[in-house]
Amino acid sequence: MQRISRSPGEGSILKPYLFLLPMLALSGVFVYWPFARNIVQSFSKVSFRGQITGFAGLGNYRYLFSRREFGIAIGNTLRLMLINVPVTLLLTLSLALLSWKKTRLTPLYETMLALPMTVSMASITLIFRVLLNPSAGFINYILGLDIGWYTDRHTAMYGILLLTVWMGIGFNYVLLLSALRGVPSDLIGSARLEGAGFFTILFRIQLPLISPVLLYAGCTNMVQAMMTSGPILILTQGGPSRSTTTLIYLMYSMGYGSGDYGVAAAVSMVAFGMTLLFTLCLFILEGKRVHYQ
Amino acid sequence: MSGSWKRRLTDGMKGAAGILMGCLVLFPLFYGLAGAFKTPSEFLSYPPRVLPSSLLFTDNFVRVFTQVPMLRYFLNSLITALFTSCVRLCVAVLAAYAFAFFHFRGEKVLFFLLIGTMMLPADTLLVTNYQTVSRLGLTDTYTGICIVSLVGASQMFMLRQRFMSSPVSVREAARMDGCGDMRFILSVLLPMSIPVLTTLFVQSFVAQWNAYLWPLMVTNRDSMRTVQVGITMLTTPEGTNYGTILAGAAVAMIPSVLLFVLLRRSMTRSAL
Repeated sequence: MQRISRSPGEGSILKPYLFLLPMLALSGVFVYWPFARNIVQSFSKVSFRGQITGFAGLGNYRYLFSRREFGIAIGNTLRLMLINVPVTLLLTLSLALLSWKKTRLTPLYETMLALPMTVSMASITLIFRVLLNPSAGFINYILGLDIGWYTDRHTAMYGILLLTVWMGIGFNYVLLLSALRGVPSDLIGSARLEGAGFFTILFRIQLPLISPVLLYAGCTNMVQAMMTSGPILILTQGGPSRSTTTLIYLMYSMGYGSGDYGVAAAVSMVAFGMTLLFTLCLFILEGKRVHYQ
Repeated sequence: MSGSWKRRLTDGMKGAAGILMGCLVLFPLFYGLAGAFKTPSEFLSYPPRVLPSSLLFTDNFVRVFTQVPMLRYFLNSLITALFTSCVRLCVAVLAAYAFAFFHFRGEKVLFFLLIGTMMLPADTLLVTNYQTVSRLGLTDTYTGICIVSLVGASQMFMLRQRFMSSPVSVREAARMDGCGDMRFILSVLLPMSIPVLTTLFVQSFVAQWNAYLWPLMVTNRDSMRTVQVGITMLTTPEGTNYGTILAGAAVAMIPSVLLFVLLRRSMTRSAL
């Protein structure tokens, strides 16, 4: 006779917890613990070795809000996010509209347009560094521009934006493309028979039906834009004159760079709070307009 | 008749526009690859050109492998990417199995606790995680590089969905045979889920191969750097060795671009 406890999905009451243990332990130690510690550290005095030495109350936050670079970092991060998200969504939505109907050529340019999703941030950042170089780069020459890009504090952020938009193309394109292809074709067909034009179909059928995916894409892009730091670390170190200092870059340079862990934790809490707030706003704003099938 | 002709024309125009946009999007990559073959003087000449004068100029690539220990970086990246993807997948499979096949106290709470990790962006936790990892003495180790990326909540979720859709008859048959949990997972569940597993594996391999900020923070010794960190160290203070920088960028993206071209279907499915 078979022992019942050896069958899948049955047996000791502890068994499911054992299966969950590795993942619970890892997310406890490397997600929830650092998050809790972040909260505690942001209200504490922390030594440069990372030891909590006392209670600081709102000291870290007060110090942070008194620093000019903090206001600049918030402004830069918001600007980056507010431009990056709509530009990325509009661009990739247009690209997806161009190719949702399958023809013989679509597999080719689908691959081309999706390819950016596999290119590493470090690689493409180094390429943009040369491409946007004011003298040796190609962009200024071919467009007849005389822009300093990453060397000029007025344009450095736009250079970063070009880069972050490029990095977002692949993922968003693939996401929106498969959403558009999921719209029942007989709906579009019968609308067309009744004389509906491109924009009627787009605004009355396609956009409402893919709105959950648009919301998802908007959220992920927003979070990613709020967390922008890698390209800044490689290209500009937050400069020239702090014009590209973002919140996460500030957190990195204050915590990892200067060992000011209490203040770094406060920056991290601000970045997290803002991101959470925007996520909630997106959900509330879209709540009335998003259609779930 | 004229309708189908007209449709064919618009399809053709759409195709041409699509290819054009594809070329525009890929231009930076092409520019980078071409620039990797340029001599320093070609970068100084005006007007700047995209194409190198000769594909035989390989000094830049030689410098990428001699100026820094690039082969060692490759090995480090390969080890950490493989290790991370394997462990993350195993951890996610085990958790997904528990959620798909068991009913237990606290099931919902634990599920949302794990899914909730997606709400806490890893970037905001970088500095605190660095403190933990350095206190554990794991800086400059492979474990240290990998350990913060082993929780894959979205992977767990996708696997749970896949497992729950496995036919009841399969589960019943396994139960009748007295098949144990591990044997059921290894010989029934996983073979049934190979497409999802491939997708998740490739996705996390590429993500870990491309990781930059965390590997930069936890490695100080040159021999522990990964490729992505290594190529950003090719820049000299004057920063004028454009060719070498571009060769480094090209070398670092070759593995993930190759994987993408070969496994596009599995990779793009991961966006869902």
